[in-house]
Amino acid sequence: MTIGQVYFYLCAAVALFGALAAVCAKSPVRAALGLLMMVLAVAGLYLSLDAQFLAAIQLIVYAGAIVVLFVFVLMLLGHTPLVGVGDGSPAARILGATGFGAVALAAMILSARNAEPTNFPAALPAGFGSVGEIGRLMFTQTLVPFELSSALLMVAVVGAVAVSKGEKPVIVAAASVLAPPGAAPKPGESQ
Amino acid sequence: MPNYILYAIPKILIMVGFLFNVGGILTWVDRRQSAMIQDRVGPNRAVIKIGKFELRLWGLLHPAADGVKFFFKEDFMPPKADKLLFSLAPILAMIPVLCLVAVIPFGDTVCPDALIQTVGNVTQLPNIARSGLCTFDPRTGLQPIDLQIVSLDIGLLFVFAMAGQGIVSAAISGWSSDNKFSLMGALRASSQMVSYEVTLGLSVVGALMIYGTLRLGDMVRWQSEHAWGIFVQPVAFFIFFAALVAESKRIPFDLPEAESELVSGYFTEYSGMKFGMFYFAEYMEIVTSSMLVVTVFLGGWGLPFVHRDGITIAFGEGMLAQLPLPHLVVTVFGVLAFFIKTLTLCWIQTFVRWSLPRFRYDQLMGLCWKVLLPVSLANIFVTGVVWLLLDMAPPFVGNMLQLVGDATQGFVAVLVTFLVGSAVFGLFRSRTKDPRIIGASAELVRSAGKSPQSPMQA
Repeated sequence: MTIGQVYFYLCAAVALFGALAAVCAKSPVRAALGLLMMVLAVAGLYLSLDAQFLAAIQLIVYAGAIVVLFVFVLMLLGHTPLVGVGDGSPAARILGATGFGAVALAAMILSARNAEPTNFPAALPAGFGSVGEIGRLMFTQTLVPFELSSALLMVAVVGAVAVSKGEKPVIVAAASVLAPPGAAPKPGESQ
Repeated sequence: MPNYILYAIPKILIMVGFLFNVGGILTWVDRRQSAMIQDRVGPNRAVIKIGKFELRLWGLLHPAADGVKFFFKEDFMPPKADKLLFSLAPILAMIPVLCLVAVIPFGDTVCPDALIQTVGNVTQLPNIARSGLCTFDPRTGLQPIDLQIVSLDIGLLFVFAMAGQGIVSAAISGWSSDNKFSLMGALRASSQMVSYEVTLGLSVVGALMIYGTLRLGDMVRWQSEHAWGIFVQPVAFFIFFAALVAESKRIPFDLPEAESELVSGYFTEYSGMKFGMFYFAEYMEIVTSSMLVVTVFLGGWGLPFVHRDGITIAFGEGMLAQLPLPHLVVTVFGVLAFFIKTLTLCWIQTFVRWSLPRFRYDQLMGLCWKVLLPVSLANIFVTGVVWLLLDMAPPFVGNMLQLVGDATQGFVAVLVTFLVGSAVFGLFRSRTKDPRIIGASAELVRSAGKSPQSPMQA
């Protein structure tokens, strides 16, 4: 076995273990850390595919921001382990596990049969996976999808702000109605 | 064993050794600094005593005493804590800091052939060309060595990726401690670090546009040829530095461990070596962030007017002086310059800690999202516009800029000479001439009319 294969199986094992931990852990924060483990291992796999930029972005966005936000929300929600969730009847569990296993096995077999490396170029083009090459592709060939996806994110941000703003004017009006008569409005507060 | 692994081992030893040792000494510097600023004597009790002989070393033994104490303290764990995560958190705090130094260059590329040459009985130190390309000698088969553990194409992105992993440690340490102060500290830490990470990333985009690379070594090369990043992108420098201090959760950004509000924040429940790892990771983070600022904005290993072939003092086309230096000397100068710059910046960071008061939480978030982030976005825009205009400008503008860049190098040289000179002068000045150095506040109280109150209240 070459070093590359050892590296691949190591990363794949860690990714699988992390994914299982994310699904099986009783404590939600442990599940989130399982997800983090999976994300890190997949970033390691990207490295072995000459995709350094993708690996870095995976670490920055998924591990550094998204998983952290998960953990953050879990901390806000408090200390409730997932007891009682997913405790279905034994028959349902067996059925579910068998069904999922069968589908996963079928997917693996099908992809293994079609995985002949016919379309792989013998040698990677120069600068493959480098920041410069990805930037060039992003701003020439795939400019329109890139701009559209950034517009989508912008819409999501504006939507989030609009939703979190809520119905502020109504609340202010209610407060001024509830205030005792004669109470002067605070300085800087409009009527 | 391949050559690059063989070369990597000493480089790793140098960087990690520097990180550990300076991190340890910084704990001492920090305490002595605070003592100096607060008019105290500071830690000086740790002593090695053999008979009559006492070794105190101005309190330098305290870091060692601390280490011994950490190992022998009870390793307490709250009974309801999540044992796995509680033990994992200090490890996760250390790993990213240690990984981060992998991409930081501490010297220019070395040509092993050109370091020392022996022809017959004559040993000589040869020079190399300013272009910096090594003449590869097939007889020795020695490849050029980058003085950097690994030169990654993604360079700075790797730094950001590693810096982001530190958040998880703070978050899970607070969560698993089963303590409300810890939880509050962890919430503050994770929100603060996520916010400032955005600013950190956006603040350097302008500099990246100008350098045209993410490789930290190439950034330093650009700065040695043109001008230091702090002159090219002054706004970015200040935002980057502020965001880095905020990322390392130190005063004035130490809300996550504000001792007057949260005991000591997310590591309240930690004791023994587990606490020691959090404590030490913080000081190592000072070192790595200083290295980062030095590399991106303060010219890395570069010295003013020193190039690969020696010292060339030139302003634009006008050459003033030239002194060729051997490759070995230039390399040693570069490595020393990098480490001295790093140490200076570490010292400035400890000084900042004892000079500024803590922010309030809303001020902290407001500063990030309402001030630093818009300013860094504006910086990117302005940089882009200026870049575009310079692209269309006639060639004499470029020559002018080169002249200004050389002038900044001269400015740095003069400033550093002046600062070092005044520091040496201050070090050897007699202390007894100024009676206010020790006991200054007591003196003030007496002069304010024998009031028992402190000068603040008087």
